[in-house]
Amino acid sequence: MLKLVGSLCILAGCIGWGANRIGEEKSRIRHLQEWIRIIRRIQNEIAYGKRTLPEICLLLSESCPEPYRECFGAIYEQAGRQEGEGLEQIWQRQVAQCLSAVRLPEEEKEILKCLPLDPGIQEEKFQAERIGQSMDLLTRKCRQAEDAYENKARVTTCLSILAGVFMTILLL
Amino acid sequence: MRQEEILYMFPQAMRGKWAQAAAQADSLQEIRMRVNAPATVLIGNREWFVDGAGRLLDRQPAGAACSAEELEAVLKHLCQYSVYAFADEIRQGFLTVQGGHRVGLAGQVILEDGNRVRNLKYIRYLNIRIAHEIKGVSDRVLPYLYDRRGGVLNTLLVSPPGCGKTTMLRDIIRHLSDGTKYGQGVNVSVVDERSEIAGSYLGIAQNDVGIRTDVLDGCPKQEGMMMLIRAMAPRVLAVDELGSEGDIRALQMASGCGCKLIATIHGESLAEIRRKKYMRDIMEDRLFERYLVLTKKNGQCQVEGIYDGEGLRC
Repeated sequence: MLKLVGSLCILAGCIGWGANRIGEEKSRIRHLQEWIRIIRRIQNEIAYGKRTLPEICLLLSESCPEPYRECFGAIYEQAGRQEGEGLEQIWQRQVAQCLSAVRLPEEEKEILKCLPLDPGIQEEKFQAERIGQSMDLLTRKCRQAEDAYENKARVTTCLSILAGVFMTILLL
Repeated sequence: MRQEEILYMFPQAMRGKWAQAAAQADSLQEIRMRVNAPATVLIGNREWFVDGAGRLLDRQPAGAACSAEELEAVLKHLCQYSVYAFADEIRQGFLTVQGGHRVGLAGQVILEDGNRVRNLKYIRYLNIRIAHEIKGVSDRVLPYLYDRRGGVLNTLLVSPPGCGKTTMLRDIIRHLSDGTKYGQGVNVSVVDERSEIAGSYLGIAQNDVGIRTDVLDGCPKQEGMMMLIRAMAPRVLAVDELGSEGDIRALQMASGCGCKLIATIHGESLAEIRRKKYMRDIMEDRLFERYLVLTKKNGQCQVEGIYDGEGLRC
């Protein structure tokens, strides 16, 4: 009886680990999609609205889901405090803080922290295009993740079940 | 508050350098920064050099030249790290920042179609002109701007540069808008082509232009006047610095629409204005019912005379 319970626990643990891995991947895709939406909005507000970056952050804080709502609200608030700190520093600090709770690979976090927000370009379309380069990179990563997701999920599920079965046999 | 406003124009790392100049906010007129030259400030009509530590000196300091990076950092900071959002203003060579202060810019011009300014690059010269709003400067002339029934009279302010005509115009607008003992407050629309009257920043007037005032910021006068008449139905329309036949035609149209006009023009005297070809007709037609001529005597701006539509002193 104990052996049966133990085996079931091992099996459940392995399947749970697999499900967690799949969930992480799903969450990564969801966050990447959200960031692509955010960057597209930033581009549109720059190119067509000619809004300043702090203003755009305010708009994003009103329309984005958590944790980004709070992050953009904090950027807007700190930029408006007139303490003389550069927007890039504020952005990097706040985005890093916000992404610390988000499961994304470090490479992708780095892209988001270092968005070329302030290259000092005077023409709004070029500025929007410059930010668009980061979006292209994220879009490519997101598409790759989406394409690989189903296979990855299937493989992870199979592997987790097999690992569970293998470990049960081993322990028995 | 004014001291802080001046410091806010600089990034954090530079605020120490500008603290001493900012402390003189009330008499500070200008801050000039030029690459490879020391920064200067104009305080009470006297020029001072600013050294690296922020001390104000009356002779040129050694090794206190501004760097290109320093100017770029100030410009980015003034533009809220969104230079593109101020491209139209930069193209015209100035920015208006919070508090209504104007920042003049010079550098290398990029042309398009041969002679149209497309943009400025290598901005290497900054001239920050500190806005000093003087309320009550028009108190003495107000009784002359109303008719007996409390209606506003078409008024032209004539003044040479630097005699405070924009300051006077702003104060008149504020009075007409808020209302005075001579007449009720009326809706006033302002075409503020160079953001000098209202000093708008992100669309919000930084100077007090009255509670019934609508401002069209950064718009050419001729288009702006027509837009405001169609859109805002003003009782009084105010514009600064008439300078072309087109401006005068737009004024005549505005007057035909039932608006009262308050405008300014460069000139030393009424006689000089009358000599301008485009002004002659409207003066003969008596479009303006009052002329205020401003002048500067012993460094003080003052009203030289107030004249009626026929050019007779009131």
